[in-house]
Amino acid sequence: MNPITTKVRAGSELHCEVVDWLDTEAELLDDGHEARWLEEMVSREVIYQMPLRQTVERARGAGFEEHAFHLDETYGSLASRVARNQTLYAWAEDPPSRIRHFITGVRVSEAEDGLVAVRSNLLVMRTRQEMTQPQTFAGERRDVLRREDGVLRLYRRTILLDLTVIGTHNLAIFF
Amino acid sequence: MTTTEHRPGEQPVGLSADHLLRQLDEGLPAGEIPAALFGNEDVYRHELRSVFGRCWVFLAHESEIEARGDYVLRKIGEDNFVVVRDEEGGINVLFDACRHRGVQVCRADSGNTSHFRCPYHGWTYNTKGDLVGAPLWRNAFGGMSKEGNGLVPAAKVASYHGLVFATLDPSAPPLAEYLGGMTWYLDLVFGLNAEGVEVLGPPQRFVIDANWKSGADNFSGDDYHLGTLHRSVWEIGAFPVPFRENMLGYHIQASPGHSLSFSMAPTEDEPGPKFFGYPEELTKTFDTSRISAHQLDVARRSRVFVGNVFPNFSILALPMTEDGANHPPTGILTIRTWQPKGPGQVEVWNWFCAYKNMTPEQKDRAYKAGLGTFSMGGSFEMDDTEPWITVSRTGRSVAAEVLDFKLNYQMGMPGIGIAKRVEEWPGPGIVYWTRYEEGVQRNLFSFYSRMMQAAPGQWPDFTFDDE
Ligand code: FES
Ligand SMILES: [Fe+2]
Repeated sequence: MNPITTKVRAGSELHCEVVDWLDTEAELLDDGHEARWLEEMVSREVIYQMPLRQTVERARGAGFEEHAFHLDETYGSLASRVARNQTLYAWAEDPPSRIRHFITGVRVSEAEDGLVAVRSNLLVMRTRQEMTQPQTFAGERRDVLRREDGVLRLYRRTILLDLTVIGTHNLAIFF
Repeated sequence: MTTTEHRPGEQPVGLSADHLLRQLDEGLPAGEIPAALFGNEDVYRHELRSVFGRCWVFLAHESEIEARGDYVLRKIGEDNFVVVRDEEGGINVLFDACRHRGVQVCRADSGNTSHFRCPYHGWTYNTKGDLVGAPLWRNAFGGMSKEGNGLVPAAKVASYHGLVFATLDPSAPPLAEYLGGMTWYLDLVFGLNAEGVEVLGPPQRFVIDANWKSGADNFSGDDYHLGTLHRSVWEIGAFPVPFRENMLGYHIQASPGHSLSFSMAPTEDEPGPKFFGYPEELTKTFDTSRISAHQLDVARRSRVFVGNVFPNFSILALPMTEDGANHPPTGILTIRTWQPKGPGQVEVWNWFCAYKNMTPEQKDRAYKAGLGTFSMGGSFEMDDTEPWITVSRTGRSVAAEVLDFKLNYQMGMPGIGIAKRVEEWPGPGIVYWTRYEEGVQRNLFSFYSRMMQAAPGQWPDFTFDDE
């Protein structure tokens, strides 16, 4: 991402477009249309990562690892996950979880090269079978959107969870 | 007959550990295991003391704490221990509790330090655990000896191929004796060349509502579940050996408690993956500098290695890809622990490893392939945990108790299936050909039962009578 970025004010045209884009994405993911999400909203050159996090002393920062992840995906591996979920043997998500993405605090900046940087807060709630307490994932997304043939697509996504130990039995869902 | 445990002022809380262990001993020869072992609270309380409080447990890989002062915070049972390299390069395993009032002294998961200072009153310890000072020492403690007031170390610490283990029981035999026949098999994974293995980053940690024994049971050699639970991975091309082919190979009870399984073709010249699918440029460096020609040969023929060191340390090496359309499967190596967190909860710690002499590109490929398949977000492993959750639900059910519900571990017993005992085998242990066999898991549970019932200071045999 070009370091020279300009903050885009809430309410401006681009900001509205990004919020709209995030809502559309959340809707596709929550409704289980991950194949459409991948096809219509994700760049073929995407890098989609959830870094591993440790508790470290303040001097060492937030504890995110640069080279270790919970998820480290390309378009090919995301496509493989989507294809897997469509087989008859994807037990982890069949019956599917009920998922809700809550996206708030959307902050947008635009770079000179046309890339759009988006920071937002993320809350994902997941309920399965007869659970009454959802599994929750709170954190932050750092996205870069790129206009491809006039359409914004997900080009980079870093999911920074507020967790070092993850209280879920799998990460078969999309963030 | 049902005996129950009564505590003063309480209703009976279900079957006692004693009762269930007797049932286990009676049932094992017939391949039956009481389901309640996977959820009973009394059993769990005994496990913390009789298994995790006594056995050698895996804590870290030496490559995680390479420099002096490097430390990681780890668990023995449910308790925290600091694993730290001291100023002389030695590795210490220290109970994370200040000697003054028991306060936690290590508050980060990893780091580098010259000392640990307790946040409560400031007792300060060096990386050997020695007490080196406290504020206004002379006023407060002048005349008191620092010696004997250091952090309490584990009873014994030892490494094998860089794998750091510790035990809380001073009566424990040396690590190599405890590992017994398993050393031969650990050698042919971790000792394939002079450089050895390192970890790729800190471990992933996940908490799952399952019993820790489900992980140990699965990695002792549950190959049969691949055909159903993991069937999706063949449809997306993540794993190159078809289910039926992959059931060919050996099931090995390496020594009491420790089991493993190889996927291996019947003939030596089969065209499939060699050395767990690692690239040829790497496998050319595998030699007999640290292992025998027999061990090298077994590794060469192995498509998959999966095993469990009793109680809760598992190892898996096999060819995998996270993206079959763009990358052919390649060898991955994961090690993990199944940390107990209650009768119905386990914390999974998962590390990815690589041979140190792999190129950065090879390491990167192996890491991505491993992460995309054998982690909680991976196409293989994401399916494993939900079944384990329901095993523990069954295990703590009243129905399992009152219906005397037994789990079936009979595959491969005499007259059942096609597995046959093998006499010609270069390594130690009790060996079966074809992996349609659950003796590997019965071995886990039979040693488990002996550990659970061993008197303090007494240890079960580490060799089989009939080997
Ligand atoms: S409890 Fe650690 S110094 Fe007092
Ligand atoms: Fe599995």
